[in-house]
Amino acid sequence: MNVLGAGIVFNRGRGISCLENALIERWVAPSDSVYAVKPEIINDQVVLKDSRRADKFSKMAILAAYDALEDSGIKVDKKSLGIIMATGFGPHATTYRFLDDILDYGDRNVSPTSFSHSVHNAAVSYIASVLNVNGPTITLAQFAFSFQQALILAKSWLKEGRCEYVLVGAVDELSKTMEYIFNRKLRVAEDGKIKPFRFLQNSEAVAGEGAVFFLVTNVDTGKRYCRFEKVYFNKDVCRDLPDIYILDNDGIIEDETAYRKICAEKKPLITSYTPIFGSMMTVSAFNCAAASLILKNQICYANPVLINPYKVNICANTKKMKIDSINCVRYNCSKVNAVVELKR
Amino acid sequence: MDEKNKMELAQIRAKLKKLLVSQLSLENVKAEEIKDDEVLFGEGLGLDSLDAVEIVVLLQRNFGLDVKDMNQGKKIFYSVDTLAKYIHENRKK
Amino acid sequence: MKTARVNVAVTGVGVVSACGNNLVQTLACFDEGRRNASKITLFPSEFICPVFEAGDFTGANNKDRMRTLNLALAAAGQALDDAGLKNNLDDLRLGVCLGTTVACQLNDVDFYAALRRGELVSMDSVDRYLKGNLAEAVARYFNLKGVCCTITNACSSGTDAIGTALSWLRNDYCDIALAGGADELNRIPLAGFSSLGVVSNDLCAPFDRDRRGLNLGEGAGILVMEKESLARKRGLKPNLFLGGYGLSADAYHLIAPHPEGLGLEQALVRALDEAGIKPKEVGFVNAHGTATLDNDKVEGKALVKFFGPEIKVLSTKGFTGHTLGAAGGLEAVFTVTGLKEGWLPQSIGFVNKDDEIPLTPLTRRTQINSGYAVSTSLAFGGNNSALVFCRRDT
Repeated sequence: MNVLGAGIVFNRGRGISCLENALIERWVAPSDSVYAVKPEIINDQVVLKDSRRADKFSKMAILAAYDALEDSGIKVDKKSLGIIMATGFGPHATTYRFLDDILDYGDRNVSPTSFSHSVHNAAVSYIASVLNVNGPTITLAQFAFSFQQALILAKSWLKEGRCEYVLVGAVDELSKTMEYIFNRKLRVAEDGKIKPFRFLQNSEAVAGEGAVFFLVTNVDTGKRYCRFEKVYFNKDVCRDLPDIYILDNDGIIEDETAYRKICAEKKPLITSYTPIFGSMMTVSAFNCAAASLILKNQICYANPVLINPYKVNICANTKKMKIDSINCVRYNCSKVNAVVELKR
Repeated sequence: MDEKNKMELAQIRAKLKKLLVSQLSLENVKAEEIKDDEVLFGEGLGLDSLDAVEIVVLLQRNFGLDVKDMNQGKKIFYSVDTLAKYIHENRKK
Repeated sequence: MKTARVNVAVTGVGVVSACGNNLVQTLACFDEGRRNASKITLFPSEFICPVFEAGDFTGANNKDRMRTLNLALAAAGQALDDAGLKNNLDDLRLGVCLGTTVACQLNDVDFYAALRRGELVSMDSVDRYLKGNLAEAVARYFNLKGVCCTITNACSSGTDAIGTALSWLRNDYCDIALAGGADELNRIPLAGFSSLGVVSNDLCAPFDRDRRGLNLGEGAGILVMEKESLARKRGLKPNLFLGGYGLSADAYHLIAPHPEGLGLEQALVRALDEAGIKPKEVGFVNAHGTATLDNDKVEGKALVKFFGPEIKVLSTKGFTGHTLGAAGGLEAVFTVTGLKEGWLPQSIGFVNKDDEIPLTPLTRRTQINSGYAVSTSLAFGGNNSALVFCRRDT
């Protein structure tokens, strides 16, 4: 599956060039102690002109998807483009706005707009409308492996000829309630730093939000970021060594000891960009965006946070190098792994 | 119509316009730009079916009014003018 | 570049709804034309609308799990039994793909109310949610290690979960799958649908001239789908198959269907194309038929346009209510069972033909003798999905 375009909305800005800058600048302390997307980042009167009611969740999704399509430079036929969106928790901020209505006004006096935006697939509905596409559209939620499942489905759709192109991506958002849940359920890093190479049993998280989309296709246009080669679950992660491992640990799954196994490997470089994005169920999608840039630019970006007690072979300095393959590795709470294999 | 009623209607219209803009997220519309007789749905302001049910909620919350029959609603929801008249005649708060 | 077609057999079904706690009870309910609607008993409510609550199904009282999960586990257990899969599940590459709307929402009112009051809140409901990803939780319960995904496509979730499992099987991500949908009757969507003005205070009347909206229901409908080759290896002689799946976005409106049913038509074209059949070969359609003004008008017109005026159509929502994420799963079970049993229930609730809808759904229990049937789902967000089931007796 060729990656022809990418779009991203995250704490540091909007668009793939913002991601490139963030990878070069490395870690920056978050304002407000979480990696939130500020309103000005998603203020776009042109793209969002017919989406007046859209909530933040939908707006982040629309802009990332729109940018991914623009970035590819492809003009797609409206029937030949599918959309698959992964989310860990869905548009829960809107759900809580709806619960506010129930608590403040009673069950009979609630906002139908809030309700209709609280369904997980509202964002994809907006994307389809903004891009005017009639292809297949699905929203799915599989917690830590949501994005990996979306990739599997995208590959299947392309192979089955359901569409020629798929916008496949992930969205998760923050809310005050989610921050509360983070504080109650997880150990939150007081310095705002996710430290991926400590591999603790009770690792630290810092909540994040954002959206990433990729335009993928089996069509060979010659111009691409990279390929999503394979997605597999529960296999020996060290069987085929890539040039670089990207670890998707961000503290949201507390026990990170399983990642130590990979780091016993001396040859591949080991990186993780989760400290740039914040902790999210779908953080794998964001790391895949970083992986796409690495493969395209043939630059390995230095780890944003260099705390490295296990003396892992991490990438300490941004450097040009030949990179053919990257494996992004995520473990879920049952210590099952999912590997996304990307190739140049 | 006496002066008192006229004034009350004008007040309701002004309040309604503000409520419409805020509750329906009419981002690029200013309340004072909405004309009293401007068609709200389809043409004119371009509202749709989701706005219609949101207006029902708006009437409940702000004026204590129940619109149960949406067929009746169509006439009432024609413009700010028709809405204001309905509110003026029926409101409980 | 199309993959070589893998035949996907339906070898087991499981079903829980207001119609009954299993397939036998469901068929009896269909046969008698019984409508098990009641007032809301599952939670206190000011609403007086009738709802279709599930009866006392196995596992209903397990409070450690979300009710939606209990419904799903009951239906999944039946489906596995029906497929003869009681033991040795470990040896199979068994995937789980389930649709839901309620189980994916972090929306516990009591939790949130306590949080708003600034209390130290019990995290029980959050824990239940975090352990309750529907597909993951069902897989964990039956100790299944295969591919696993929860589809959250609103009211077409169940249909899209079955379609997704079809893609998995054809692309060899698994050899066998549990697929369908589950949703409980829940206070939040009840308030939400009421605010949209689409909930009827009378029993729902799909496709009827005087329909006044939907009734909410709950349930779970789950299929065992497997590669025909595996079924034969297990000693089965499968004769029911999922032949095709289509889905398409309207790109029109968040809550209103495209007035011409554009997306639905495209979904049907794709589903029939995959099954390799023409519209006239389809024996009947289990329609989405929610009994809302918009849905039935648009869907009825689109079905007649696509299949012709003679097409047999029924909505089973008069028996189950609208079960949201479960609807596609339940209706897939009903559709495949209709092909198997050779009869369909009446489209209950329908009395008078609507001049704006060019079809009369089944007005009585009807014998059918056909090889193909279609189930359709239309959802919020303009999602349209269609499945084609086939019966092939060899």
